[in-house]
Amino acid sequence: MAEVRPDEVSAILRRQLAGFEKEVDIYDVGTVLQVGDGVARVYGLSKALMSELVEFPHGVFGMVLNLEEDNVGCILFGESSEIKEGDTVKRTGRVASMPVGEQMLGRVVNPLGQPIDGRGPVHTDKIMPIERKALGVVERQPVKEPLQTGLKAVDGMIPIGRGQRELIIGDRQTGKTAVAIDAIINQKYTHTEKAKKDGVKPVYCIYVAVGQKSSTVAQVVDKLQQEGAMDYTTVVAATASDPAPLQFVAPYTGATLGEFFRDSGRHALVVYDDLSKQAQAYRQVSLLLRRPPGREAYPGDVFYLHSRLLERASKLSDALGGGSLTALPIIETQANDVSAYIPTNVISITDGQIYLESSMFNSGIRPAINVGISVSRVGGNAQIKAMKRVAGRLRLDLAQYRELEAFSRFGSDLDKATLAQLRRGSRLVELLKQGQFVPMPVEKQIVSIFTGTNGFLDEVPLEHVQRYEIEFLELMDLKHPDLLQEIVEKKDLTKEITEKLTAIAKEFTESFKASVKVSE
Amino acid sequence: MRNVRVARRYAMALMTAAGEQKALERTSKDLEAIAGVLNGSREFRVLVASPVVAAKRKSGVFKELFGSRINRETLDFVDLLLQKHREALLLDVIEQFNALRDEKLGIVTVGVTSAIECTPPQQKNLQTSLEQYTGKKVRMHFSLDKTIKGGLLVRIGDTVLDASITHQLEVLKTRFVHGMDV
Repeated sequence: MAEVRPDEVSAILRRQLAGFEKEVDIYDVGTVLQVGDGVARVYGLSKALMSELVEFPHGVFGMVLNLEEDNVGCILFGESSEIKEGDTVKRTGRVASMPVGEQMLGRVVNPLGQPIDGRGPVHTDKIMPIERKALGVVERQPVKEPLQTGLKAVDGMIPIGRGQRELIIGDRQTGKTAVAIDAIINQKYTHTEKAKKDGVKPVYCIYVAVGQKSSTVAQVVDKLQQEGAMDYTTVVAATASDPAPLQFVAPYTGATLGEFFRDSGRHALVVYDDLSKQAQAYRQVSLLLRRPPGREAYPGDVFYLHSRLLERASKLSDALGGGSLTALPIIETQANDVSAYIPTNVISITDGQIYLESSMFNSGIRPAINVGISVSRVGGNAQIKAMKRVAGRLRLDLAQYRELEAFSRFGSDLDKATLAQLRRGSRLVELLKQGQFVPMPVEKQIVSIFTGTNGFLDEVPLEHVQRYEIEFLELMDLKHPDLLQEIVEKKDLTKEITEKLTAIAKEFTESFKASVKVSE
Repeated sequence: MRNVRVARRYAMALMTAAGEQKALERTSKDLEAIAGVLNGSREFRVLVASPVVAAKRKSGVFKELFGSRINRETLDFVDLLLQKHREALLLDVIEQFNALRDEKLGIVTVGVTSAIECTPPQQKNLQTSLEQYTGKKVRMHFSLDKTIKGGLLVRIGDTVLDASITHQLEVLKTRFVHGMDV
């Protein structure tokens, strides 16, 4: 890099100074009456607007939330330790905004748009306000493209479409974040050339961490980097040590980042992890602003807090570019209580939920998805035809299995049909188990579920089912990649494909059974 | 927190009453007198603020002090405050009354801060231009502050017109540090 010479530096400086116009700056001010706990009351600021950004001394910004007769209540986006009573507060004249753009991909930022990954500043061309009104009915179209999460249980029975809001709900430590991270990692395929040829558009991801431990966020970022997912992901982090106003605002900034892609005809996925903590941060801020508490001490507008956030996830009409923003909010329940205040609120807003149970998790079924009460209101429209064919029976078989599961404890003395259903069900449950960070492409899922729902697994001992799946997929990869590709291209299981698959599966099952006998 | 809300209500009531009787000027002078005594005498302030002394006795004190010098209506107003046990807000009420009066008469108080003393012709100039700018009568209030280094800082209510050197230097610094995207 050529060195800048000293005389060049003076020339540049002189030019900068010459072009510098001396203007009179006009701004509105107020005086801090009271400050503490992330909230400040300001006297004056008579022309302040709702949700306007105001500037405190020492570079701290705040947002106006309460406009009262004689004072203005602001939340502080920063440390309140250096702000004193009597300090001057300036109006900035703009609403809270977030820098957006492709330059944000691969970065870890805080809700103010400032990078916290130590890799230098982010230079974006565009800034968008974090609070935006969601689109009306005319600008939208129904969800029809699949968003593949890579998890068999989800893509098979609770499919998610691009533009949908699907809630991931469960107790602590049940794998909620794991489901979301797997979904993000699975989008890697959508950014490849092959995906373009197959007609799959790229999905950009945003992971919003609200109120989490910094170590957890670091782990997530690390994992995403390892899997090569950071190239198309932005992480917005408002960790547990950040002031409550930042935690409250973080999901909105994530939505803004996603809307940038949506409005430019592209697809984005935003994960809010988790909204329970955002509701708690909002409760803290509201109580400090002396807004009256309601049920469970949450303010009266906590529903609106989540509804306006989630309404921004949508599929745009073709006239507006056909882009989409999919939302995966996460809610943590206490003792599996989905009838608590916040969970019921968010359930009624989203287009379905993935319910994770700790009992299933503890008995080894991971992902611990309770398919019986998990729902996707978009359903079949978000699946390719091939998957619909294959997974159609899956839900039914599992439901019947669960009904009869109690009887399996009795062991023998059950009629043939019941035994058959129990056999089928238990093998399907085994099949749907999946490791963490190994999302499966859709064609492999289809092939795998095919073996399950068409009875090829019924004769395989339960403890060998997972090995069967691994080896079968290896076989498909090595010997019949063209068949897999055909499924991807045609997006349907035509008669020929089905026949070919049946033949392959039959042959493989025979040889597998033989190998099992030998090993015993 | 200042009790602006409550003080304002009383001030508005007094304003309306004075307006009806076209006694704005008189009432204003009376209140100034009371404010003067309150600010000047610590004993008087303590007495007024004390919850121990009965309202009747405070009323007596007021009558003796001001009976001859201020109007009946103003005294009645002070009695009202005493009755409602809001006498501690008296200074705030007077402040709000002055603000309301200024608003009614179209006067605005402007604070001008400079690093060096403004000469009388400069002051006159400022007054004229400010009157043009605000479209109201201007009551000037000059003060000195060396930290602004030069230029002027004009404060009209909540709006600040900042032409100080310090501010210019700050803006210049931000421009250099962050590039021209300020």
